Amino acid sequence: MTFLTDAAKRLQVSIAAMTMLFVMAGPASAQWLNIPLPGTPRTPDGKPNLMAPAPKTTDGKPDLSGIWHADGRYLDNLAGEGVDVPMHPWAAALYKQRMDTLGRDKPQLHCLPHGVPDAMLVAAIPFKIVQTPREVMVLYEEFNQYRQIFTDGRSLPNDPNPAWFGYSIGKWEGDTFVVETAGFKEGTWLDNGGHPHSDALHITERFRRPNFGTLELDVAIDDPKAYPKPWKSATIHFKLLPDTELLEHLCENERDAQHLLGNQ
Amino acid sequence: MKTRFAVIVAGLGLLLSAGPALAHHAFAAEYDAKKPIKLTGAVTKLEWLNPHTWFYIDVKDDNGKVTNWGFEMGSPNILLRAGWTRNSMKPGDVVTVEGSRAKDGSNNGNVKVVTLVSTGQRLFAGSSQEQQ
Repeated sequence: MTFLTDAAKRLQVSIAAMTMLFVMAGPASAQWLNIPLPGTPRTPDGKPNLMAPAPKTTDGKPDLSGIWHADGRYLDNLAGEGVDVPMHPWAAALYKQRMDTLGRDKPQLHCLPHGVPDAMLVAAIPFKIVQTPREVMVLYEEFNQYRQIFTDGRSLPNDPNPAWFGYSIGKWEGDTFVVETAGFKEGTWLDNGGHPHSDALHITERFRRPNFGTLELDVAIDDPKAYPKPWKSATIHFKLLPDTELLEHLCENERDAQHLLGNQ
Repeated sequence: MKTRFAVIVAGLGLLLSAGPALAHHAFAAEYDAKKPIKLTGAVTKLEWLNPHTWFYIDVKDDNGKVTNWGFEMGSPNILLRAGWTRNSMKPGDVVTVEGSRAKDGSNNGNVKVVTLVSTGQRLFAGSSQEQQ
């Protein structure tokens, strides 16, 4: 099966990379790529303890703050590998076109946003959650973008100006952070494969932080104009990148569009 | 100075995805994995810029004719986390590039690995093909 072959290939590369040492040259101590962060639980040898309990805020809620990157299994298909999601004919045709053209029209190739939740699923480029009492900010390293999730009790806006990231409100249900987002601009891709949506899209995300080093997310997609039934993602896992910071990422030499077949 | 990129970071292994993925980049729409290339030449230019690092090398054929090739790597952000710095490879350095040729037939490619000829050190390029 293709999956096993690809996984084996990736394991090979991972093992090759893992067998090499990580050395930070002297001046690196002045950089922020590797900087001890206060509040990081540590093992006796000083390394971040990713299995420690999740931190809590002063009002007793789990604190989702940290720099995270996604396990790559969900990049292509939010529903899970090999899962087919029933779509209305216009959406099915659009999805097929995106697959057939190998993602040639992906907005990111023109440095436009991924949207929700795809912007968190970018391979090898992390995001940062900053949790404050009245809002949770998601800072996306790729393209230096952000999303705000308001936790001050407000409702979703009526007839908002459509936005790539929509408008988000969040609240806690026990240890789960539940986010509702609507007011999407048409044309964002729900995942790397290009699951489409309409302006009726309403997304519910449920975040959990089972321990210091792990974040989990379940996504529910409700868009009756595109999908006859609401559908759910596979559970998405994120790993913490401890003791580091985001790097700036702005499109300064975007030229993918020039090289794409059919775009000359 | 050259020892700065003498080793590859284990963290790159963590960042590589575990499943089949096009990554954020439509690799297959631009490059042909069935057209592998391996070229050696001196670096003429390095663009240490987002969204993708680009560098150019002068490749001399058997007749002495020089062609300039352009190569794309991952974001500098990915390379930095993998142990590169913006000074790891400089104009004038002779390198061997392994990767995939551009589908449009231009003298461009996507990079898997760069080997610095003078020291033999190999640097993985953090490219989208690698993330597949």
